[in-house]
Amino acid sequence: MSAETASGTSADLRPGWVTRLKRVPVTLLLAWTIVFIVLAWAALPSLFTGYSGTEGVPGEQLRPPSAEHVLGTDGLGRDVYARIVYGARHSLSGAFVAVTVGLILGTLLGLIAGARGGWTDVVIMRVVDSMLAVPSLLLSLSIIVLLGFGTINVAIAVGAVAIARFARLARSEVMRVRRSEYVEAAFGSGGTFWAVLYRHVLPNSLTSVIALAALQFGSAILAISTLGFLGYGAPPPTPEWGLLIAEGRNYLSRAWWLTAAPGLVVVLVVLSADRISKALGRTAP
Amino acid sequence: MIQVKYQRFLASAFASLASIAILAGSATAQTAITKGGTLIYLEQQPHTNLYPPAGGFYPNGGVLNQITDKLTYQNPKTLEIEPWIAESWTVNADATEYTFKIRPGVTFSDGTPLDAAAVAKNFDTYGLGNKALKQPVSEVITNYKGSEVIDPLTVKFFFTKPSVGFLQGTSVIGSGLVSLKTLALPFDALGDATKIIGSGPFVVKSEVLGRELVMEARKDYTWGPAKLAHQGRANLDGIKYVVTPEDSVRIGALLAGQANVIRQVQAYDEKQVQSKGYIIYAASTRGVNNTVVFRPDNPLVSDIRVRKALLHATNAKEIVATLFSANYPQAKSIIASTAQGYVDQSARLAYDPALAAKLLDEAGWTIGPKGLRQKDGKELVLQAYESPPQPQNKETLQLVAQQWGKVGVKLNVLAGDAGSRVADSLDPMKTPVAPAMVGRADPDVIRSQYYPTTRNALLQKGGVSNKVQSFVDEKLNTLLEEIAAATDPVKRLALVGEVQAYVIDQGYVIPIFEEPQAFAASPKVKDFTFEAVGRPSFYATWIAK
Amino acid sequence: MASYLLGRVGQALVVLALTFTAAFLLLQVLPGDAIMIKFMSPDMGLTADQIAEIRASYGADRPLWERYFTTVGNFLTGNFGISIQAGVPVSQQLATNLPPTLLLASLAFVAALILTIILATASNMVGMEWLRAGLQSLPSLFISVPVFWLGIMLIQIFSFQLGLVSVISPGPVERLVLPVLTLAIPISAPLAQILMRNIDQVLAQPFVAVARAKGASRSWVLWRHVARNAIMPTLTIAGVLFGELLAGAVVTEAVFGLSGLGGLTYQAVGNHDTAVLQAIVVISALAFVTINLIVDLLYPVLDPRLGSRSGAPA
Repeated sequence: MSAETASGTSADLRPGWVTRLKRVPVTLLLAWTIVFIVLAWAALPSLFTGYSGTEGVPGEQLRPPSAEHVLGTDGLGRDVYARIVYGARHSLSGAFVAVTVGLILGTLLGLIAGARGGWTDVVIMRVVDSMLAVPSLLLSLSIIVLLGFGTINVAIAVGAVAIARFARLARSEVMRVRRSEYVEAAFGSGGTFWAVLYRHVLPNSLTSVIALAALQFGSAILAISTLGFLGYGAPPPTPEWGLLIAEGRNYLSRAWWLTAAPGLVVVLVVLSADRISKALGRTAP
Repeated sequence: MIQVKYQRFLASAFASLASIAILAGSATAQTAITKGGTLIYLEQQPHTNLYPPAGGFYPNGGVLNQITDKLTYQNPKTLEIEPWIAESWTVNADATEYTFKIRPGVTFSDGTPLDAAAVAKNFDTYGLGNKALKQPVSEVITNYKGSEVIDPLTVKFFFTKPSVGFLQGTSVIGSGLVSLKTLALPFDALGDATKIIGSGPFVVKSEVLGRELVMEARKDYTWGPAKLAHQGRANLDGIKYVVTPEDSVRIGALLAGQANVIRQVQAYDEKQVQSKGYIIYAASTRGVNNTVVFRPDNPLVSDIRVRKALLHATNAKEIVATLFSANYPQAKSIIASTAQGYVDQSARLAYDPALAAKLLDEAGWTIGPKGLRQKDGKELVLQAYESPPQPQNKETLQLVAQQWGKVGVKLNVLAGDAGSRVADSLDPMKTPVAPAMVGRADPDVIRSQYYPTTRNALLQKGGVSNKVQSFVDEKLNTLLEEIAAATDPVKRLALVGEVQAYVIDQGYVIPIFEEPQAFAASPKVKDFTFEAVGRPSFYATWIAK
Repeated sequence: MASYLLGRVGQALVVLALTFTAAFLLLQVLPGDAIMIKFMSPDMGLTADQIAEIRASYGADRPLWERYFTTVGNFLTGNFGISIQAGVPVSQQLATNLPPTLLLASLAFVAALILTIILATASNMVGMEWLRAGLQSLPSLFISVPVFWLGIMLIQIFSFQLGLVSVISPGPVERLVLPVLTLAIPISAPLAQILMRNIDQVLAQPFVAVARAKGASRSWVLWRHVARNAIMPTLTIAGVLFGELLAGAVVTEAVFGLSGLGGLTYQAVGNHDTAVLQAIVVISALAFVTINLIVDLLYPVLDPRLGSRSGAPA
C-alpha cells in the first residue's frame, strides 16, 4: 500500500481512494491545520489582517465581498474577515475556559466519586444528577444574569453545564480502571488513596476524558453562539464568532455574507474538534 | 368602469384639483375600494399590558389603536384636535375645567353604552389611578382632581392646577376608552387582549398570548372621527397580528406574500423592500428624538464641560449617514421638527472634536498613556445599556463610542437581560449615559421625559430610584412645571423652546435622529394610515385585488 | 429487587429535593427582582411607597428561610405561585405553554429517531463508498451548526424560496414541520453516531459472518441484531435529552415565533420571574428523574446480563 504517502495528490483519485484516505487520516490532518490557523489568528491577529476588528469606517458599510474586503463589511463598515480573525481570540478563549471549567471540576468530582465509592459516590453523583436535571440553557442563562455579561462569564456559564457530563464520564472510567488488577495491587501494596489515584487511576482514565474535552470544545463554541442569539452574549463591539453569526442574521436579506462567513468558520472549527476528538477516542485503550 | 374614466378625465383636466380631491378622500375614490379580507400584520414583539395608559409601547399602541376610540382625534397632518367620541367641548379660561359633549348612540363591544358616566370613570381611573386594582396613573394627565356627570351625554373634568395638555391628552392612545367591565379588572388581568373591551372599529376575537391575535371588524361601527374621509365600519373584515421576532423572517414573509404589513423595518432593508415594489411607511413619532442622555449624578459626567465636550464629539450626521436612511432625519433639537414647539438648535449642536478636546483639557481630563483621558488616576470610562426597541440602537451606541474614542473617552456598550437593564438604568453610577426617546404629539412630552416623578431620563433625585445621591436641576424642573401649567398656548410653546435650549446648553442631552416608526407593506395595501405619533390605524385600510 | 426499586425511587426523590433547593437559592441571588423590574419601570409611574406596598403584598419582604418553606409547602400542594410579570398563576401559564412544547419535543424526538435509523441503515446499505463516507460524516455536520441558524435557513429555503410551507398562517400540521425538523436534526446527531458505532461493532462479531454464511442477507442481520443493541444507548441518552429538547425549544420557539415552555423560560429569565423559573426547574427535574428511573428499571429487562446487578448505575 504505497498510496499511504501519496493519498493527498490528485493523481491518486482512483476508485477506492476513500478507503485509503481513511487509513491516512487526511481529514485529521485537515482538522489540525484548521485548528492551527485559527490558533494563529488568536495569537497574532494583526499578522493576518490590516483592518481593525472593532473600529469601522463610516461610509464603507455593507460592502459585498471584494478584493479590498474579502468577506465584505458589516453595518458599521467593519471588515468581516478582520472581525473573524480578531474574534478567534474571544471565541477560542471562551471555549477554552468553558471546557476547562467543565473538565477540571467535572473530572475531579468524577474521580473522587469513582475512587472513593460508598457514600461519597452516592452523594456526589446525586449532586451531579441534579445538575443534569436543570435544563442546561436555563442554568447558563441564570449564571450569566448572576455574573453579568462578558466573554469569560458566558464561558463559565457554558462550562458549568458540562461539569456533570465530565463527572459521569470520569467516574465510569475510574470504575473501569479500578477493577483492573494493577490498581487492586497498588492498593494492596499499601498505597494511599490519593497516591494511587494520581499514579494509576488518573492517567489511565484521562484519554477518554480528553476526547470528550475536544468534543466539548466544539459544542462550547456553539453554546456561546446560541447565547449570543438569545441576547446573552459578550457586549459589543466584541467580535466573538457566535455573536457575529447572531447579529449578522438580521441582515440576511441584504447582506447574507455577514452571517454565512462566521457560520462557515464555526462549522469548520467544530467539525475539526469533532474529528480530533474521534481520533483521540480511538487511541484510547 | 365609468368611475375610472371619470377619474382619468379629472386627472387630465384638473390635475391639481383631482389630487386634492383624492387626498380629501372624495366619493369617487371610495367607490373603487375593495371591501373585506383579512390583513396579516407582523409585529416584532408581543404586546405587554394593554391597560390603555400603557399604550406608549409600540406593540401595545398597535393593538389598542384598533380596538379603542378616544374622546378627541388629533389630526396627524395639522395636529389639531378634532371631534371623535366627544362632539364638542369647552374649556374654562385657566384650563382647570373641561366639559365634553358625548356623541349619542356609541356602544362598547359588550353592548354597554359609552356615555358620560363611562367616560368619567375612564378618566377618574387614568387621572387618579386605582390602588386596589394596581392600575397606575396615566403620564399624559396632570393635576387631575375629579369628574362630574352633568347629564347622560355631558361630562365635566376638574383640575387642581391649570392643565392645558389635557385636551390633547384625551386624543392619545393612552386615553383610549374602555368598558366599565375592563376597568373593574385588576391591572394584571389586562395583559389579555380579549379582556380589553373598547368601542373601536375592531374587536379582539381570539388571542394566543405572545404569538397571535385575531381581530374582527365591528359591523355596527358608525362613530369614527367626524372629519375623517372614511366613515362607517372598517373596510377590512379582520386583522391577524402575528408576532414574528426575527427581522429576516418578517421581511422574507412580506416579500413571499405571506404577510401584508410588517412593523419595524430596519433602514438597511429599505432598498431591498422598495426595489421589489413594496412600500416603506416611516411615520414620525413627533416626540422626543432618539437621543443620548447623561446622568449628572455620576461624578464622571457631573461637570458641564465633560458633557458639552461629548456633545461636540458626537457626529450625528455620520451616524445617520452610516446606519440610517432619509426616513431618519438628523436631529436638530431634542424634539422632532414635526413636534409642536420645535426650535432649531443646530447652532448649539455642531460636531467639533477640537472644541471637545479643549473642553476636556479645561475640565482637567488629560490624555493618559493608553490614549484614554484621566484625572486624579481615574479614567474617563462610561457605560450605557443598549435599548432594544430603538432602531439599531446597539450599532448607534457603538458608533458613538467610536466617535468618543477619538477624543480619548471610552464608552462601553453593555448588553444585559431585561431585568438587569431596568435595575441598572435606575442607578447613575452604573449607567452614566443612556439612550432615550419617547413619542407623543404634545409639548407636554418634554416635561414627561425629564421631570423627576415621570420618566426622569436624567435621573434627578425625587424619582422612583433610590440610587440617586443629590442631582436636582431646580431651574429645569421649574420650566417643566410651567409647561404643564401654562394656559396661554403661545407662552407654552415659548417655554418649550426655552427648555430645548437649556437642556442642550447644559449638555444633558445629545440629539441623534428623529425616530420614525418604520413599516413595510405590500403595494396592494391601500389607505394604511397613522395616528399623530406613528401608531398604525387600519380603520380605512383595504387590500386591492 | 424490591429494595433495589425502593433505593432508586429514594435516590430520585433526593435528586428532586436537591434540585429544588439549589434552584431556589440560585434564583434568590439574581440581581434585581421581578417586582422591581415590572413596577419600577418609568412607564408605570409609581412612587417608592406604592412599590413597597406591592412588595409586601407578594410576600417578598419576608426572610429567606420563611419564603423557602412557604414555597416548598406550596409546591407540595400543587400551588406554583404567581408570575409577577404576567400577574397570573404560574399553573395557568404552564397549562397554556406546556402542551405545545411537549408536542413539539416529542415529535422532534420521534423525528430524530427516524432520522437516526435512516442515516445509520443508509450508511450501511449504500454500496458506494463515497456516499457512505458522506452519510457517516453527516451527524458531525449536524452538530456543528447552531440551531437558530438552522431554523432561519430552513425558513428561508422551504418557506420563502420554495414556498412549500407557510410560516405565518400555517395549518396545524404545516406549523410544526419546520420547527420539528430544526429541533430533530441536532438531536439525531449524537444518536446516529452511537448507532453507527454499534452497527460497526455488531458487524465485526463472528456470529454475523456465520449468519451470512448460512445465507442471511446483510439487511436481515442488521435488523435482527442491531435493533436490540441500539435500544440501550438510545434509552440511556433519552434522559439527558429532555433538557436538550427544552433548550432547543427556547431557540426554536424564538425563531419560529411559537408560544411554549421555551419562550416562557426565556422571558422568565429576562424578567427574573422566580416563581415561573422554579416551576420550570421542578417540572424538568421531575421529567429527568422519571425518565432515568424508567431507564434504570428497563435495563435488566432488556439486557439479561444485567439482571443480577444491584449496584448504583450512574
